[in-house]
Amino acid sequence: MLTPITIVYLVILACVLALVVWNLFTEKKFTNQITAAMVTIPLILRLLLIK
Amino acid sequence: MKKHTITALLLTVVVAAVCVYSGNLFLSLRADDVIIPSKDLTEVRMLSDYLPKLKGTRGDTAIYIFKGEEEGGKALVLGGTHPNEPSSYTSAVILVENAKVTVGTLYVIPQAARSAFTHNDSQEASPLYVHFENSKGEVRKFRYGSRAVNPIDQWPDPDVYEHASSGQLLSGSETRNLNRAYPGREDGNLTEQVAFAITEMIKKENIGLTFDLHEASPEYPVINATVAHEKSMDFAAFGLFELDMYGIDMALEPSPVNLHGLTHRELGDYTDTYPLLMETANASQGRLRGATNEKLALDGKDKFYVSAGELGMLYVPYDENGHPIEERVGRHLQGVLSYTAAYNDFSGTPIVIENVPMYEEMIAAKVGDYLN
Repeated sequence: MLTPITIVYLVILACVLALVVWNLFTEKKFTNQITAAMVTIPLILRLLLIK
Repeated sequence: MKKHTITALLLTVVVAAVCVYSGNLFLSLRADDVIIPSKDLTEVRMLSDYLPKLKGTRGDTAIYIFKGEEEGGKALVLGGTHPNEPSSYTSAVILVENAKVTVGTLYVIPQAARSAFTHNDSQEASPLYVHFENSKGEVRKFRYGSRAVNPIDQWPDPDVYEHASSGQLLSGSETRNLNRAYPGREDGNLTEQVAFAITEMIKKENIGLTFDLHEASPEYPVINATVAHEKSMDFAAFGLFELDMYGIDMALEPSPVNLHGLTHRELGDYTDTYPLLMETANASQGRLRGATNEKLALDGKDKFYVSAGELGMLYVPYDENGHPIEERVGRHLQGVLSYTAAYNDFSGTPIVIENVPMYEEMIAAKVGDYLN
């Protein structure tokens, strides 16, 4: 069962993930896109409560 | 389509592939290890039988019960309190897969902190599994977990962990350490609930003797040692003589009265059981180790520990032979047998455990030889 603090955490996490994905698609420099892609991996795994 | 959009789409595919691969790896650790009990097993209960709110959580874990034909005393063996200490749960699994009890009752919980088996400690490069080949040539696989309960199951950690019954303050991450949570709380966090259920079980079943099996890094002072509550000291000293006769060098340490939350302190204070905690040497959890892998967890061979030993920095002898899992499991199993024999004389309520490998047999064989 998700506790209220976990729900708040997941909402914040989803917002950060959305911003990083937005950055991935708007960033023109390839190295910055790679950085954004790497950052999304732990965020996705956390959002899905896998890790 | 613009060039940066194409690269973003390609990277999205890569991210998806990495997430599927790593996600499956993490999720695979949630599958329980297979334990094939001895034919003499009497009953399997769940920890939730003693605290129903644990049912359906990863705090719930199996209790294997061996009841002898004759009435006698009752003993409990806790393995897997810290799942990054493989000789602990391996010893408990060998008990479950081999033991025959003729007098009294033996309870074994091989994976006391079941949630802690579902993840690794981050940045430790720990192996995911240890493998053993049994006598039929089949490979048995067991998880190498973490010292603490999975934060997926218990989150967030406080900055400072306050032990409920004593007020003792420890680092925040210790809030997920089962061996800092005893006697536990019915309405506490998951770790405290597991500790509470184990304490309740000991009270309700009137268990007289409790073993908690552990490992420690070779540079940790309490190693190749038994830590005993003051009330367990008398018979533990007799058990120590027998262990010495089997060639096992074991120190007997008194449980500190002001160190709270541990089995050897709280189970002795809050229940009628006589608790003992045993430690063996595990290089794979030490700070001085080299490459961390399954081989190190199983054979304990590490050139850095050999050097540290030569410099006198360790609390256990260390040479090129390392400390193989057979030696560590043999120490635990012989400890259970010898201390139980001493307890039998002391208490007058005997527990007779048969068909469990003794130290000499264990070091002459492979762990897999005693797995079904």
